[in-house]
Amino acid sequence: MRYPTSSSPTSRRNLLLGTAAAGALFAAGCTSNENNDSDENSKQAANTANDKPGKAVTVGFAGPQADHGWLNAINEQAKRRAKEYKDVTLEITEGSNDTAQQIGQIETLINKKVDVLVILPADGKALTQVGLKAMRAGIPVVNLDRVFASPQAYRCWIGGDNYGMGFNAGQYIGEQLKGKKNAKVIELAGIDNLELTRQRTAGFNDALKNYPNIKKVGRQAAEFTVESGQSKMAQLLQAHSDFDALWNHDDDQGVGAERAIKQAGRDDFLMVGGAGAKHAMDAIKAGNTVLKATVLYPPTMAASAIDLARALGQGKGVGGLAELEIPASLTLYSAVVTKDNVDEYLPTGFS
Amino acid sequence: MNSPGSRPASSPPADPAPVPGAGATLTAGPVGKPPAGRTGTDPLSRLRRLADLRNLSLVGVLAVLVIVGGFTKPDEFLSTDNLQLVLTQASVIGVVTVGMTFVITSGGIDLSVGAMVALASVWATTIATQDYGLGGILLCAVLVGLGCGLVNGVLIAYGGMVPFIATLAMLASARGLALQISDGRTQVVTVNPVLDLGLPDSYVLGIPPLVIIFAAVTVLGWLVLNRTTFGRRTVAIGGNAEAARLAGIDVKRQRLMLYLLSGLCCGVAAFMLVVLTGSGQNTNGNLYELDAIAAAIIGGTLLSGGRGTITGSVLGVLVFTTITNLFALNNLQSDVQQIAKGAIIVAAVLVQKGRSTP
Amino acid sequence: MAPAPPDPRPLLTMSAITKSFPGVRALDGVDLDVEAGEVHCLLGQNGAGKSTLIKVIAGAHQPDSGEILWRGTPVTLKSPIAAMRLGIATIYQELDLVEGLSVAENVFLGHEMATAGFVRSRAARTATAALLTRLGHPEIDPGRLVGELSAAGQQIVSMARALSHDVQLIVMDEPSAALDPDEVDNLFRIVGDLTAAGVAVVYISHRLEEIRRIGDRVTVLKDGRAAARGLDARTTPTREVVALMTGRDVEYAFPRRTTAPPLATATPVLRLEHLARAGEFEPIDLEVAPGEIVGLAGLVGSGRSEILETVYGARRPTSGRVLVDGRPLRPGSVSAAVRAGLGLAPEERKAQALLMLESVTRNVSVSSLPRFSRAGWVDRGAERAAARQCVRDLSLHPDDPERPVRTLSGGNQQKAVLARWLLRGCRVLLLDEPTRGVDVGARAELYAVIRRLADDGMAVLLVSSELPEVLGLADRVLVLREGRVVHTAPARELDEHRVLDLVMEGSPS
Repeated sequence: MRYPTSSSPTSRRNLLLGTAAAGALFAAGCTSNENNDSDENSKQAANTANDKPGKAVTVGFAGPQADHGWLNAINEQAKRRAKEYKDVTLEITEGSNDTAQQIGQIETLINKKVDVLVILPADGKALTQVGLKAMRAGIPVVNLDRVFASPQAYRCWIGGDNYGMGFNAGQYIGEQLKGKKNAKVIELAGIDNLELTRQRTAGFNDALKNYPNIKKVGRQAAEFTVESGQSKMAQLLQAHSDFDALWNHDDDQGVGAERAIKQAGRDDFLMVGGAGAKHAMDAIKAGNTVLKATVLYPPTMAASAIDLARALGQGKGVGGLAELEIPASLTLYSAVVTKDNVDEYLPTGFS
Repeated sequence: MNSPGSRPASSPPADPAPVPGAGATLTAGPVGKPPAGRTGTDPLSRLRRLADLRNLSLVGVLAVLVIVGGFTKPDEFLSTDNLQLVLTQASVIGVVTVGMTFVITSGGIDLSVGAMVALASVWATTIATQDYGLGGILLCAVLVGLGCGLVNGVLIAYGGMVPFIATLAMLASARGLALQISDGRTQVVTVNPVLDLGLPDSYVLGIPPLVIIFAAVTVLGWLVLNRTTFGRRTVAIGGNAEAARLAGIDVKRQRLMLYLLSGLCCGVAAFMLVVLTGSGQNTNGNLYELDAIAAAIIGGTLLSGGRGTITGSVLGVLVFTTITNLFALNNLQSDVQQIAKGAIIVAAVLVQKGRSTP
Repeated sequence: MAPAPPDPRPLLTMSAITKSFPGVRALDGVDLDVEAGEVHCLLGQNGAGKSTLIKVIAGAHQPDSGEILWRGTPVTLKSPIAAMRLGIATIYQELDLVEGLSVAENVFLGHEMATAGFVRSRAARTATAALLTRLGHPEIDPGRLVGELSAAGQQIVSMARALSHDVQLIVMDEPSAALDPDEVDNLFRIVGDLTAAGVAVVYISHRLEEIRRIGDRVTVLKDGRAAARGLDARTTPTREVVALMTGRDVEYAFPRRTTAPPLATATPVLRLEHLARAGEFEPIDLEVAPGEIVGLAGLVGSGRSEILETVYGARRPTSGRVLVDGRPLRPGSVSAAVRAGLGLAPEERKAQALLMLESVTRNVSVSSLPRFSRAGWVDRGAERAAARQCVRDLSLHPDDPERPVRTLSGGNQQKAVLARWLLRGCRVLLLDEPTRGVDVGARAELYAVIRRLADDGMAVLLVSSELPEVLGLADRVLVLREGRVVHTAPARELDEHRVLDLVMEGSPS
């Protein structure tokens, strides 16, 4: 426990900017449980989407198999959000990790002539064609998170910022270790052959470059599973008897990583998580483990995607911006959740 | 076999038994090629049989790994902590591999081991099961494993399904059921006795309980395969199922028991995984089937059945775990680890091939 | 009649061909010569070496020694492709067609008509249709899948495949086995056409009457040697041919029984009551007393092996039952038969009896494991000692029970199987071709072992293609023809000629 647990001014400012932006952008509110607490801030334009029932919209939703906490939260956020609107009917497919199967499911949705499609592709590049097909059939596509290869394949992309996630994690750690000489950092990455893992690592590395006193001494890639998190973390702990901070890309594998840390009996470093699972936020709030912060990759983006789909279906824009049309792309901010602001984010934590 | 003369009739009968009436032109069957491999009565071959030195190549690989580890990371690699770590990491897949070795020895295959581990670990960590404490979790994991093994066994032994297909079906459905039960969530264990089993305080004389279970399963597996009628029958039906049937062995019942055994091992492994990770997750046991098959094969168990070695399988698991450990300690990434794993599989099988063909 | 070959040298001359497999000498100095344009028949019992010989001709097996001349020039047939290039085609008994491919694709498999790697399927179909027409079956569609054709149709496709090469010599392994009489007539017409065109045919069959119809010369194989060469297919008496196939070229001293044969009134240990399997054998009643050897004599297809396997529970009878000591056995259960004291030494030893990777000890003990085990744990000392005892009793050679069984000769492998049942304490031994694949010299030893077992009170049911073996060993002989017992008599009242007449009754002689 050598490091103060409160956020530095820099990170707090980032945080505030993040929440403000999110709050302003969607009149209907960004987080699922607190509905309209940002209403008073937003000056609603005449033709922006709001809670009042409008034209009925059927939204087709196709995502990968929800075999992981974050993906599970995506599905839940989408479903819950759709239920809140009386004018939205959600056609949700069986999640699939098989590209061919997902293409088939999306084609079925196209044939059913849904009004808007929300697609979280198992593999963005491989599903570009079916996105194009939907767009040409006159069905606007909201591309969720994993981006298609061609911007023609979607009307609007909304997703997280993997590079920013790594960058913010690195910056938070950098601030925490400021002034410590020869500080050592290790990284527990996610699945190595995913683009997002490489982006996260790149962001993390870039942030650390701003702190010459810090050196990244170790990195292992786990598989987003508890089992791999435990195994890889145990190896990292064995390899490095002494380090100051750890960034773990994913809170799900973090369950295993924390288990390995406990089994090794180590508490001499600071751990930052990733994605924003509820158990991680609980631990941050309790403050009795090495986990001091987690960098968000907010699953609320699925709820926002439903908002966007509804607005597209009703031919409206979104509030809080001067634009008449919905933006072509929305990159979400990866906020750092610490003990100071954890209460604000706890409701979005997924299990 | 080629006698120097072109006329085989000129070679003397090798079988000294008197043959009344047989003409001198007849050759009595010589016994074939000179004893190859582990045949014969000489002391060397006896010693070989005794020490099961077929696994020598793996012991060699392990020795090389230890030497490399000792040179590159002397402080981290050659320590009690690290020995505990390697053995602990090997223990879960090791128990699965022991079961797999039996199934492969019998000429079968079990592709569902990873899925059974996932399902058992998820089922054993539901809130309802956790209410029953450590005993409930253990019992539940074992029963789920046995149940899946029973379905596999009945389909294969009495339903006449090919093991590959039957266990592939189990792989798919058990993973699906695990996902359904857990709803994709990580089920964190709150039962303290279970959690404590994975922590250093419960080590017995410095040995983690999981390693003790692994050792016990290994010894038991070795004894059952080599010293019991069950083991003999397993080898027999793997070597020649028709001959085993005509020798009076109940082949179907034996097959059923083998898949039950594999399920049991997966149940135990699932419990161990719950202890290790303090949770149950539907992604558990990912690709265990391939790891277990690979470890058994490089250990010297024949994929076609009829020959199996528990010692070899366990050595195979230890080799893979040590590679992972060694590479992680040297901060080498997973791509390099996978390449090394593939190379070791090929090398080990080639060495054995060279050895077994006379 | 074959036309006079333009080339005075024989098409194919094989001399002193030997071929050994671990444990058995399959060919032991075989000579064969085939003229262009003749039908050369190859006769022999199962296991006489016919299959090995035709595989040598086809290039599928390499002989250990011996010489092969093709039109007088020495050749080595180092692969099936090499044989095919010379103009040798083989139609195997187990048809080697790919069921999922079309007729035309099968015919040109391995030598596809292709341009720059692309198969010209239309040309192949046209060529296939022409071949099929030549074979008298224009109705077979070259585009059909081979798996959809009847056995006879597949036979024709096999033949078309052979003819699709520039063929000089065709080997046909029991081509008529799957055909009905009309189709056999067509087959013979094709063979006639081929020989008229100067092609030589090596024809293998069990059916002597076919050989009379189309054969020119006959070579008889026995025990991996040519028992007779170049006999005239039309004039050699059937009995002489059969005697060559089944008889002995050397006389064996069969061991005499040292005890009195069991009385007819003795309580039987094994009883068959109207035991039958539809399509295989008709109801049979039989009693075997302890110490008695009962022989089943008959040709291949007479139902002998099927009877043994049904008694043993490996096949389920369609009617009747088997009793041991007066208690009926659960039908179709090998385990029940073994528990009741039955033991089988099957015909295909390697495929059906032996664990080839295992030691002699483990092969011997496999049926008796509970005897050496307590609560499932095997007492290996007791196991080894018992196996060693059995191995000694049967003078199995070499005297090392830890040796892998695959390195043993055929005769000693058979002894290991017998030892298995001896150890089990079995009281009824079912022997199916006990000397198949056993070198001639080692057979006498096996006879002595069987005799001794019977003298010690074992009931034995013996099946053999070798008439002298049945007559020399058995106390009583049942003669089978086409699934029916046609005669039962004490062995001493029978001789080879009498039995030959009985097994072939109705066939031309």
